[in-house]
Amino acid sequence: MARVWRATREWLSQFWADVKASTDAGLLAVPRFLGLLYGSIDTHLPIDQAWRKALAHRLPPHVGWRHALGGIAYLLFILLVVSGVLLAVHYRPSVSEAYPSVQHIVSGITLGWLMRDVHVWAANLVVIATLAHMARVFIDAAHKPPRETTWLAGILLFFVVLAFGATGYLLPWDQWAYWAVTEALNVLAGVPLIGGSLTNLVRGDPIVSGATLSRFFAVHVIVLPWAAFALLMFHFTVIRRHGVAAPKHGPVPAGPGRRFFPNHLLRSFMVAVLVCAVVLSAAVLWPRPLGDPADPARLPEAMRSTWIAVDVSRALAHYVGPWGFAAFSLLGLGLALMPLFDRGPERQLRRRPVVAALGALFFVGFLAAWLAGRQLGSAPPRPELRRPVPAGAPPSEAPPPADTAAAQDSAR
Amino acid sequence: MSRAALLAVLVACAAAAVPASGAVAQSAGGRVTIPPDTSYGCVACHADMRSAFVMGVHAERGIKCHDCHGGDPAATVLPAGHRGRFVGKPDKVAIVALCGSCHSDPNRMRQYGLHTGQAAEFRTSRHGRLLLGNRDFNAPTCTDCHDAHTILRPDDARSNTHPTNIPATCARCHEDAAMMGKYRLPTDQFARFRRSAHGIALFDEQNFASPSCVGCHGTHSALPPTVTEIANVCGRCHVLVSQSFDAGPHAQAARDGKIAGCLGCHSNHDTERVPAERIAATCAKCHAPGTRAHTLGVDIQRDVVQATLDLRAAEEAVARLTRAGRQSGDAQFRYRTALTAYLEIAQVQHDLDVARLEELTRRVRSISRDLIGMADVAEEHRWEHQLLTLVPVWFLALASVALALLTLRGIERKKAGS
Repeated sequence: MARVWRATREWLSQFWADVKASTDAGLLAVPRFLGLLYGSIDTHLPIDQAWRKALAHRLPPHVGWRHALGGIAYLLFILLVVSGVLLAVHYRPSVSEAYPSVQHIVSGITLGWLMRDVHVWAANLVVIATLAHMARVFIDAAHKPPRETTWLAGILLFFVVLAFGATGYLLPWDQWAYWAVTEALNVLAGVPLIGGSLTNLVRGDPIVSGATLSRFFAVHVIVLPWAAFALLMFHFTVIRRHGVAAPKHGPVPAGPGRRFFPNHLLRSFMVAVLVCAVVLSAAVLWPRPLGDPADPARLPEAMRSTWIAVDVSRALAHYVGPWGFAAFSLLGLGLALMPLFDRGPERQLRRRPVVAALGALFFVGFLAAWLAGRQLGSAPPRPELRRPVPAGAPPSEAPPPADTAAAQDSAR
Repeated sequence: MSRAALLAVLVACAAAAVPASGAVAQSAGGRVTIPPDTSYGCVACHADMRSAFVMGVHAERGIKCHDCHGGDPAATVLPAGHRGRFVGKPDKVAIVALCGSCHSDPNRMRQYGLHTGQAAEFRTSRHGRLLLGNRDFNAPTCTDCHDAHTILRPDDARSNTHPTNIPATCARCHEDAAMMGKYRLPTDQFARFRRSAHGIALFDEQNFASPSCVGCHGTHSALPPTVTEIANVCGRCHVLVSQSFDAGPHAQAARDGKIAGCLGCHSNHDTERVPAERIAATCAKCHAPGTRAHTLGVDIQRDVVQATLDLRAAEEAVARLTRAGRQSGDAQFRYRTALTAYLEIAQVQHDLDVARLEELTRRVRSISRDLIGMADVAEEHRWEHQLLTLVPVWFLALASVALALLTLRGIERKKAGS
């Protein structure tokens, strides 16, 4: 008892000393309180000192605004988690309830529409932010040894982001979601060798159905968040371990660098506030409308996509076919494994022409496919969408007879 | 296990089971297994008949060949097998008596819940009169519709007498122009029925409450309704419309046989709905333009056309509400009320009660306008959201950024100073 009292008095006096000594007293009080509850992290490093050390961390002076892109992606991820949890409170993942529950979120719940549109917009912007962040790292050659694992974790995170969008897109269970996912899965089924069985695994039924909805929901709210969390922790740990890459031209500038607290934190705060304002404005100005309820027996008049990956995969499937889709995926995979072969010390972009060309091809291709997908976006869906893909067989292996296709056309 | 593997195992099991148990046969639903009876002589020659017969309901009930065909099933060779009370293949007239020997016996049919009037009804039908009275073997007997051996329950989808199969069963003869020519009957009934509201409900919507041929003509007592019967036949299902019709001025004309009941305005097999904009033209078929009756028709047409437009507008408003992300439950209820009023308009057209018609039209219009208003408000609402949200958001954001910038400058200046 006496020990507790002594510890409390010590802590209070230290706390008061901190209040008097520094401007960041409030901030220090939090870990100090945790330290009181749980003791020090280890005997050599009390938790408040660890916290103090973290705050005193200095960033190299060449860290500029363009390094904020990764942080923006992380901020958008946090926004997605918060809005996603709020949505999950009201959303019901079943065929009969999904659509009405989204209607309820949009119209029945205070600021529910904002929650949903922030989620949609943050989901789109996080892809853009991640791509921009990757482009920055690629151009700076910041992925070169010893930072290959950072790049690899980042690539995995990008796939997680895409998987988040792909699974989340189905959840409103409206016509656009239903048919866009049907079309995307048909594209996936066309991928050589593994497409058919992979599609059956993902879809869980001969057509997109309640089984698919359950799977997508489970992956979207359970599997992917944990995967993202683990990858993010790893990504941040290795970044902290290796530090920020030196500038391309010349050595790291001399000088003590910028303090994390408060200088860097204030700069981050400015970026974060602006990003949040942009997301809010986009959500308010361009709400994602709700289509008609999903109806497997009726094709929508036009396919409308509000998600980047859907546009990209649709454009690829439409213009270059399943083999092109597979080749483009391979190119992406090659870039992911780039640190394995692009290991030279050279960091100037124009002195690594092959890698630069491949990277440019991927980024330009992605952008072009996205824009093309936006153009395709309002096109009516193709009639062969109605055919469920037979188990284990890509649809391209069994093209419908010409008269059947014509009959389907005339039937429409 | 994949479906293919499961199928392979099933086939293997079946292959193993068949030689062990001899000729095992299963009924339609796989419920009843007929035990192999190698001592039953008929199947020694008529194995094909047996395999047709065991699919049917009579095999389930333990009926055997000799119960209908006579003969001696203990014998496995001719002529011993065809001895005794041997019937062989009965002719069409004898079939009616043969089926009736069980199916007209209430003591036998009670246990199955079957009524016993089929033979008596058949005698009253056009088919029965031709067959039994005129010995006209073009006319069908029991087995022509029910099959001789594979006699299935009407609720079995493979049965000729299943609701969705009845039109095709009738059409087997009634689409035969050569045969129907003898009786001066048309052969386009099936095609017209297929297009009709009843045909669409039956075939496309699988709504078995919709009548097939037998719904109006009767099953075993098949006859076309007479002119004075038509309104009653339609009224069996269209109860409310029928009540309105009976209360209106056309009912007496129908009873007197001056108009063909409902068929005066609607056709028989294609059951045409009179479009709202053709009501007055339909009246003009009997009532000269300018007469009081025709003017009434014009008034009714105006109201019905207006109500139709209003209902469509209401439907569109509900869709707009849904698209705007608004919960449309309340609106759906109001729409259902409008729809009910609209359906009642269809009913009261038949007793020509214009006052009631106008009241209903007004109700549809009033609900429609409410729903349009709700949809407009829902769409405007988003615009208010936008303005009210964006101004404070950007004010706060820019103020925070400015504050942070000033603080940063202050800190850096202080550091530079020190």
